[in-house]
Amino acid sequence: MASPPNSEDGGAAGAPGTSAATLNVAAWSPGDDVIEVQRTPAPGPTRSTWRTFVETLRGLGTTFGRFHETPVTVQYPEEKTPVYPRFRGRHKLHRFEDTPQNGAQAGLEKCVGCSLCAAACPADCIRVVAAENTPEHRVSAGERYAEIYEINLSRCIFCGYCEVACPFDAITMGHDYELSDYDRTDLIFTKEMLLAEPLERTPLRNEGE
Amino acid sequence: MPRPESKTITFTIDGREVSAPENTMLVDAAKLGDVEIPVFCYEPKLGQPVGACRMCLVEIEGIPKLQTGCSTPVKDGMVVYTQSDRVTIAQQAVVEFLLINHPLDCPVCDKGGECPLQDITFGWGGGISRFVEPKRHFVKPLELSPLIAIDRERCILCYRCVRFSQEISEDYQLVLLDRGAHSYVATFDGHPYVAPFSGNIVELCPVGALTSRAYRFRARPWDIESAGSVCTLCPAQCNVAVTVRDERALRVLAREHPEVDDGWLCDKGRFAYQSFHVPERITQPLVRDGGFLRPVSWERALDEASAGLRRAGARAAGVAAGTTTSEEGLLLARLLREGLGSPHLDARRSGTVSTGLARALAAPALQARVSDLEFAHAVLVLDTEPVDDAPILDLRLRKGVRRHRTKLAVASPGATTLAEPATLCVRFAPGAGAAFAVALAAALRGEDHAALARDAGAEADQVAALSDLLRGSESDEAQGPHEVVILWGERLTAGDSADHGAQALLSLADALGLADTDGAGLLEIPAHANGRGLREAGVLPNAGPGYGELAGAAGRDAAGIAAGLAAGELSAVYLLHCDPLRDLPDRQAWGEALASASTVVAHASHLTQGIREHADVVFPAEAYPEKEGTVVHPDGRVQRLRPAIAHPGEVRHEWRVLAELAERAGLELTLHSGAAAAELLYASVPFYAGLTLDEIGGRGVRWQERAAATELGAAAPPAPGPGAASASAGEAAAYRSLWDAPEVEFSPTLEFLFPHPELLADDRAASAELLAPELETAS
Ligand code: SF4
Ligand code: SF4
Ligand code: SF4
Ligand code: SF4
Ligand code: FES
Repeated sequence: MASPPNSEDGGAAGAPGTSAATLNVAAWSPGDDVIEVQRTPAPGPTRSTWRTFVETLRGLGTTFGRFHETPVTVQYPEEKTPVYPRFRGRHKLHRFEDTPQNGAQAGLEKCVGCSLCAAACPADCIRVVAAENTPEHRVSAGERYAEIYEINLSRCIFCGYCEVACPFDAITMGHDYELSDYDRTDLIFTKEMLLAEPLERTPLRNEGE
Repeated sequence: MPRPESKTITFTIDGREVSAPENTMLVDAAKLGDVEIPVFCYEPKLGQPVGACRMCLVEIEGIPKLQTGCSTPVKDGMVVYTQSDRVTIAQQAVVEFLLINHPLDCPVCDKGGECPLQDITFGWGGGISRFVEPKRHFVKPLELSPLIAIDRERCILCYRCVRFSQEISEDYQLVLLDRGAHSYVATFDGHPYVAPFSGNIVELCPVGALTSRAYRFRARPWDIESAGSVCTLCPAQCNVAVTVRDERALRVLAREHPEVDDGWLCDKGRFAYQSFHVPERITQPLVRDGGFLRPVSWERALDEASAGLRRAGARAAGVAAGTTTSEEGLLLARLLREGLGSPHLDARRSGTVSTGLARALAAPALQARVSDLEFAHAVLVLDTEPVDDAPILDLRLRKGVRRHRTKLAVASPGATTLAEPATLCVRFAPGAGAAFAVALAAALRGEDHAALARDAGAEADQVAALSDLLRGSESDEAQGPHEVVILWGERLTAGDSADHGAQALLSLADALGLADTDGAGLLEIPAHANGRGLREAGVLPNAGPGYGELAGAAGRDAAGIAAGLAAGELSAVYLLHCDPLRDLPDRQAWGEALASASTVVAHASHLTQGIREHADVVFPAEAYPEKEGTVVHPDGRVQRLRPAIAHPGEVRHEWRVLAELAERAGLELTLHSGAAAAELLYASVPFYAGLTLDEIGGRGVRWQERAAATELGAAAPPAPGPGAASASAGEAAAYRSLWDAPEVEFSPTLEFLFPHPELLADDRAASAELLAPELETAS
């Protein structure tokens, strides 16, 4: 095997524990790629003193100047920031209101399991597995329904593309932004969780607010 | 028959000069210049274009009206426009018309995302529809067959499915009924469309009108990955693409290979993947304990198997069948021969062909390719029923007859489905294939064949007619050498008449000059999917890898093993993908043999009767998309299986299991990867020498076309003896079609094609009992 240029000298090639002394350091020089770091000249004594006292006092001046203002801290979670109506929070899946089936209280699901939301999702966090509706087991209005519908909210970037992609307005972005949890897997929202009536815990911003 | 040749011409398309072979259709020629002409009904695989959809309209200088690009052959100097205003307006109008009655239910349609109608509407459509009247409606979806659902509203009447049924599979079941906008695809009288190749129409349909009931709604194109593989459920070894989602096979599509499958699949290949993911599948090792098979750890199963085999030593035997790869075959052979010192090993259903004859039959010059079936002047189908043995060849034979006027002759013991395209059908007595071949060879040599024909139960003048057909007439001779392909089944060399059959074939080949004619030859359909590969890997009682000589004496063949086990001369048997009660002739003998064997080690994926009643150790077998290994097509094409889906449960690579057992038996293999196992195989078989996985690639390579092919030291075959071949009727009675397989039995939508419904309930119940989840955790 021809020894490559820039490798160690002599027969030490490949041997573990080659000491630095035997390394041909020049061979490792990166050459023209090195750019010297540009530094400003070190400040002189006058400049240092100016910085230490005058600039510090100027900063403190700004701080004390705000003392009389009221605090802007929001006392979360006792107090919640209201959101705009088009705020994109946690998703909701919807049902038709007028088609209760087989004695069930709720109507048919709007989602037909077409996976278009999953295709649109840039974070790839929606997983849909569809199945076929039968007359005995009808879940949605079309031929197919979503047997599994999951959104991994720890990955979601709340872009709202899924809402735009859905041909049946089955999925919309809600207002809920309180999505922390102790376990990552609990942030994978299943179809049941997304269909359930969400807690109305996020205040909506009023007009002009 | 000469393959079509054509000269190259130059034409202009959208202002670009493009060279293309003369007389290709404009649609194809345009592609050579990177111009896409949208099509719906055009599909070259279906034969002549019909021009049904009008989507491919183009403007050709000098012709006043727009022309269909799919049915206009390109000529020198043609000037074509595909983007002029006239063409654009016409294309938009066609799309608008097609969508008039289209339900546009893409979100619930299974084709959505991979739908040519969506793509073409997006690319060439006008974007709006002016149609506000009610659309045509049908009940939907309807069951066209247990495998296929039809949605007539979505149908754009492209005729593809009907043409397939009428002109490719020639089952004539699908028709278009009614007229005009009311036309719809149907079967006569609403009968279900049940045919061996029906699944192909799902892949052909350019819209979501025909969908697979097994795949319906399982996934979207963006949820899936496609993995190339080779279907090893029958010897035809069609190239397939497995659709994978969540590490499971969801669908199998054709991966067109003109030298193997021509782009079609049979329904077994297309739908039997379901059996890989059923609860009845064995996914962990089982060991018989107190009379019952119980799930155990791998360690325990390997211990039991290796102890049992070691106890038997030279009294062990092995039988390989099914989807066994060549590597697994080789490792089994080495385990038995070198590890245990036993020569008893077989991968044939019955009978043994002596090594010299086997080599002579495998001679590269005698070997026909699959495409030769299509272009030969005459094809003789001898003692095989392609639709039951290697279905895809049935379509190839029909194509040859229909498009190239190949003369087809069928010699078989029973009725054949090829009777209609065949020029001549000859019958002989069941099991008398070898005797018939002897009679035919005599007739071809111009000898007196009447007595020989009578021995074979055939009529002498029919044999004479067949020999005339194969020899060809004077006028044929004027067109160059007469190409004849003989497609023969392994049954011809079954039982005691194995050598007679082989000799008769060689003398037929000799009389017809097959070895000297390019495009002529013999093509065998082995009984097992990788039959050829296993034999070449040395899974034979009388030959080592590459039909090499054995160091010691020859062992027993499959029937001999059964007899030996029953008589107590052998004590253990290793069954690789083989349930002898099902896969081998003489069920009764095997029943006794397995009952008296002290150790039965089996690789099985389902608990069929032989396994569940007799196996002592069961290793879970891999399905073909899980395997890594080499298989060999009947025409010598070495193909490669690469893992496409994950192993369910505790399934392991079978070559690993065999290597482990071989090492426990004292062999030094040190195989660490499937590639290393392949290397071992290629180094062991002389005529595979130097093969690499890169060379095999995704399309395979025929070893006969490589330099190493000369390594098959051709032995001069003994002179053909007189035809004393006896009819072995038992063998014919035990004839088994490829639909009689656990893959069919355990696939929910395919099970209606399983020929033994009475076995089904038993097998299901036994599997449910044994493989119930409680039991699995209990041990
Ligand atoms: S909001 Fe965006 S990131 Fe979140 S699920 Fe929808 S498409 Fe995906
Ligand atoms: S939510 Fe909408 S886009 Fe997503 S699968 Fe359901 S119907 Fe399709
Ligand atoms: S056939 Fe194509 S265009 Fe028609 S509904 Fe299905 S996906 Fe949509
Ligand atoms: S069912 Fe499909 S393949 Fe058959 S005519 Fe209609 S669109 Fe064409
Ligand atoms: S593709 Fe040419 S008419 Fe259909």
